[in-house]
Amino acid sequence: MPVPSNAGSHRRSRARRLALPGAAIAALTLLSSCAKDAPQDTFQPKGDNARNIDNLQRTPFYIAGGVFVIVFFVVMFCVFKFRDRGQKIPKQTHGKPALEIALTILPALILIGVGIPTVKTLFMLAKTSDTQCVINVTGQQWWWEYDYPVQAGCGGITEPIVTSGEFVFPAKMNVLLKITSRDVIHSFWIPALNGKRDAVPGRVQTLRMEADQPGIYAGQCTEFCGLSHAYMRMDAVALDAASFETWKTNQLAAYESPADGTPAKTGESTFLTQCSRCHQVNGLVNADGDPVISRPDQYVYSGAAPNLTNLMTRFDFAGASFDLITDDCRDKLWSAKPADFSALYLKGVTPECFDPVNLREWLRNAPGKKPMYADPTKLGPTDGKTRGMPNLNLTEDQIDQIISYLTERK
Amino acid sequence: MFTTGSKLFLGGTVLSLAATLIYGATEGGGPLGTLGLVSVTIVFAFLTGINFWVRDSNVSSMDTAGIESSAAAHAAPGRSMWPLIGGAGAALLPVGLIVGFAITWVALIVLMIATVEWMVQAWSEGASSDPVYNLGIRRRILHPMELPVLGAVGLGLIIFSFSRIMLHVPAAAGAIIFGCIAAGVVLFGSLIATKRTVARSLVVALCTVGGVGVVGAGVASAVAGGRHIAKHEIPSYAEGTCGAETSGESDDKSSRAIAAKSNLAATIILENGKLRADVAGVVGNPEVVTVPRSANSFIRFKNLDHGKFRLVVNLGKEVVDPKAATLTYREVKECTQAVEEGGDQFIILKPVTPSPRDPSAPDQFSFSVPGVDSAVLGIVVP
Ligand code: HEC
Ligand SMILES: [Cu+2]
Repeated sequence: MPVPSNAGSHRRSRARRLALPGAAIAALTLLSSCAKDAPQDTFQPKGDNARNIDNLQRTPFYIAGGVFVIVFFVVMFCVFKFRDRGQKIPKQTHGKPALEIALTILPALILIGVGIPTVKTLFMLAKTSDTQCVINVTGQQWWWEYDYPVQAGCGGITEPIVTSGEFVFPAKMNVLLKITSRDVIHSFWIPALNGKRDAVPGRVQTLRMEADQPGIYAGQCTEFCGLSHAYMRMDAVALDAASFETWKTNQLAAYESPADGTPAKTGESTFLTQCSRCHQVNGLVNADGDPVISRPDQYVYSGAAPNLTNLMTRFDFAGASFDLITDDCRDKLWSAKPADFSALYLKGVTPECFDPVNLREWLRNAPGKKPMYADPTKLGPTDGKTRGMPNLNLTEDQIDQIISYLTERK
Repeated sequence: MFTTGSKLFLGGTVLSLAATLIYGATEGGGPLGTLGLVSVTIVFAFLTGINFWVRDSNVSSMDTAGIESSAAAHAAPGRSMWPLIGGAGAALLPVGLIVGFAITWVALIVLMIATVEWMVQAWSEGASSDPVYNLGIRRRILHPMELPVLGAVGLGLIIFSFSRIMLHVPAAAGAIIFGCIAAGVVLFGSLIATKRTVARSLVVALCTVGGVGVVGAGVASAVAGGRHIAKHEIPSYAEGTCGAETSGESDDKSSRAIAAKSNLAATIILENGKLRADVAGVVGNPEVVTVPRSANSFIRFKNLDHGKFRLVVNLGKEVVDPKAATLTYREVKECTQAVEEGGDQFIILKPVTPSPRDPSAPDQFSFSVPGVDSAVLGIVVP
């Protein structure tokens, strides 16, 4: 009986073995070129700083690519040319000084070639002397707070502005973020605008921000910071200079109490009893007419809760994780042309766009919407303070009234 | 058949198994104790198995002639200091149980060391009929343990003695002594390195003298006690120590926070009777300093004026007891120590309430310098 030759099957199985990785690489290349609409793509810089980083990584990337191709083909050549066909083992030699010296000097030169622009870019990214606007950024579990210190920069700020989730700044201006944390280490990253910077408790680190065009740029906490790390996002919002002035004026506008007899008015009094111990609403006064000062330091582990004075000037909440507007309106905002963006953003959450579903769910049971350490029976380790917002067991009526009250905060 | 070694391990297995059962029954089986005893039982059982497998099945224990004629049977036990040391450890154990736990630990460690050393020595003496080989095998097993431990203990002793000396001598003398000793070591080392002919005994003698000298001086200094290091009270507004009077002490609360010095939020400078601020990342001197709420801000006060001055931070008022029927307020004020011209002081601020929105409202937040009325700088807390 003739013994079947298995040479053919060998060849076939090799082809099959190569097919899967080959297809995977092809698919990946294809897929990665699809990401046109990826808001968190570092390879699509939208400002000077991100562009500096992108320019820096391109050259080494091409060099590395070249080195890879050369090495790959040399190795492949050797593997096929000199594969074991039962030939005699060639004479073995040791050392080839000229080659070794050349192979030491060449990588050293390549490293120097990469090193010089790297150091230059590092200095460029660390520069603070050309700052035109300072914004403090404070991370805590699991949201970012932005406060605008009193300064001559940012076109002049006379009273501090506090906001959260979305930080607003003038486009084309050199903004300096001063980043810190109130509890654990977080990391601030708006990929389209700059690299990331850790937010470390007890340290203030700076990060430059500049956007070429008005627009909204997505970001995400990039240092694992506990339970709801995935819900700790942020949006950077660049406005044109005039719109930024309007935004500032609006943030500092005097408080307007809802008209008597409206559901919003009832909402205000519920807010006073339920919410204002944690959440500051600037200008809110109690029954005696004294300003109401929140004391989140007594109830929340990080010592802070979002300032709700102008909630409806932002479009999402709770770590920029949940929308206050309908998907349609969201799409419009995110795809607005730079020329139209500022005006659209300044409108805030309009009645046509407002979608109360998320907010209602939040007020019904915040830890159910976003995982947080707020179970009153398990707060021993933090001295009874919550990490996140507790479930306040509000009735549906109370929730409606509070929502009416909050929709007027703009 | 079981040889003596296997019988020993088997006995251990049975004993620890019994102990486990008894412990489990009487103590209700505390998890840690049970775990430990079960582990011991398993280890003994494992050793029994190993011994039985690799030895008993190879050497017939019935072959008494073979055993008796082996090298192990012939060597008489050598001299050993370990029983003595082990005895001292055993004697120390009850002393420790009465006097204090630290001594018990020492006794246990001594006992353990003595047991291991004695066992290895006794075993190595019977390993072969060649005493030189036996000594070598003992070293090969124990030196990797003995040398690092002895080295660490010796080094620890030298370092501890040295630290006692440094704490005893005046601060300035400390620097000189440190420099001299370091220079001496370098000199000595390079001499030995270059002059390879130097006698070995000389090196040993010098090292011994040096080591004994350091340890001796260390013991003497430790007995004599450290030099006086001044500790200062933290000034407190409530206790009235934030005023204009000058004390010239340093504020050890803030200077202990090393992060503060590498991570200043702002430097507040007193110059020509005026305060000005240098805020990290801010170009120029802002008219008011914004300090974030509920986060630590490290502030440095620098006095460039003639005389001793301190910085006082006024963070408004705070409710004393929020549950009281009529609310009473107290001022939230903190201050640095007073410093002379050119001096620095640190202070950490963590305001928990915002400053008044209206700049004309009373109770504004501010920096000020007691005794210098013109030195005031506003603080804003968002
Ligand atoms: C114990 C303190 C506490 C109380 C009381 C409290 N909250 Fe919150 N709230 C928080 C914290 C902390 C967050 C931030 C949670 C996060 O994003 O992870 C938050 C987030 C929010 C947000 C999202 C804000 C933003 O910009 O991201 C809204 C809206 C809100 N709370 C409304 C309310 C209302 C309305 C009440 C009263 C019914 C209330 N909260 C009571 C602590 C509190
Ligand atoms: Cu985070």
